[in-house]
Amino acid sequence: MPDLDDELMERYQKGDENAFTLLVRRHQQPLVNFIARFINDRDSAEDLAQETFIRIFKAAHRYKSEGAHFKTWMYHIASNLCKNELRNRGRRDRYRVDNVVNSGNDSDGDAEQIDLIGNAPANPAYQPEVALERKELQNAIQKAISELPEQYRLPLVLRDLQGLSYDEISEVLELRDGTTKSRINRARLMLKEKLKPFI
Amino acid sequence: MNCLQVEKHFSAYFEDTLDYQTLQTFEGHFAECETCQAEYTRFQESVKAVQQLPQIEPSPYFIPALQQRLTTEERETRSIKDVLTTQWQQLLDVFRRPKWAFSGVFALILAAAGTYFYQDLRPGPVATTPLTKQVATSPEVFPVQQSRRVAADRNQLLRGSVISTPTQPMQQRYMLKQVSYTTTSTSGGL
Ligand SMILES: [Zn+2]
Repeated sequence: MPDLDDELMERYQKGDENAFTLLVRRHQQPLVNFIARFINDRDSAEDLAQETFIRIFKAAHRYKSEGAHFKTWMYHIASNLCKNELRNRGRRDRYRVDNVVNSGNDSDGDAEQIDLIGNAPANPAYQPEVALERKELQNAIQKAISELPEQYRLPLVLRDLQGLSYDEISEVLELRDGTTKSRINRARLMLKEKLKPFI
Repeated sequence: MNCLQVEKHFSAYFEDTLDYQTLQTFEGHFAECETCQAEYTRFQESVKAVQQLPQIEPSPYFIPALQQRLTTEERETRSIKDVLTTQWQQLLDVFRRPKWAFSGVFALILAAAGTYFYQDLRPGPVATTPLTKQVATSPEVFPVQQSRRVAADRNQLLRGSVISTPTQPMQQRYMLKQVSYTTTSTSGGL
């Protein structure tokens, strides 16, 4: 049974431009959330999410709804873009470490990280202490996630933040079901240890 | 089942996907082991805390910015296509005229003949001898010079500027650093 995304892709392939806009509207928020949480950088997340849609747009004529699901295809493209971005950052950082004398912990060049306190929405039932405590915990969780090795962080974000099923995650990451399950369990165990001071 | 094995099933227990047999042995150990009970409670709480993280929203400019990028990309692709088609078309047009087609073929024959006679006149293996001799007499010189040139090229690429070839001691150290940088970058992930 074709889902709405597949139907929209089919419509777009037949020349309906609005169908693509609708696809973007449906997926922009989860995609930005996924990328921002995975690479821990809100600003680059928008850019990478747009790049994901551009790739989808360019490859749209090759898309076949029987072979893949739009959602997993989208996350697959986004994951690869994120991995490349992180690899390039790693190279840039190593280059800096190699060439900057007495650099120490240079934080000024790092990407802007997600500051949940700064991004807190206005709430009518606002309790400063409780809110601050919650924001601190959220910041700690984001930091702990960003410290996980990539191979564990990616399936964890897809599962616990994006709500994908194990099957979908296996499809996105091209892993066997057992590997996906054990990596997610391992990632959760690592997080439990990292969050020990808070939980 | 021991504590380590129980821990491997935490996610499945949390998501209620354990089969009957595993659930029995899991709960058998769990009922007796206070460490596992405490660890599981923390596990459960941390998973729930992660799942409750607020969703990050895209900015209101997301779609307009994307549309802008798509238009630019489309325009660029179209102009490249246009250039390629016109050039190809021009080339084909030339050969469509019989006079030009004849001259083209004639020029090709001339070029082929020229190359053939030039090869006949060229001195054969003698021309390559000095180089092979030089490499043979000092075998370690060539690789070192080569690697320096590669390092300098890499430097140029990385820094986007031209570096003079004579190697001062300090510069030499810098280049060695660059080489080690490039070798580490290929092996590392995050
Ligand atoms: Zn135990």
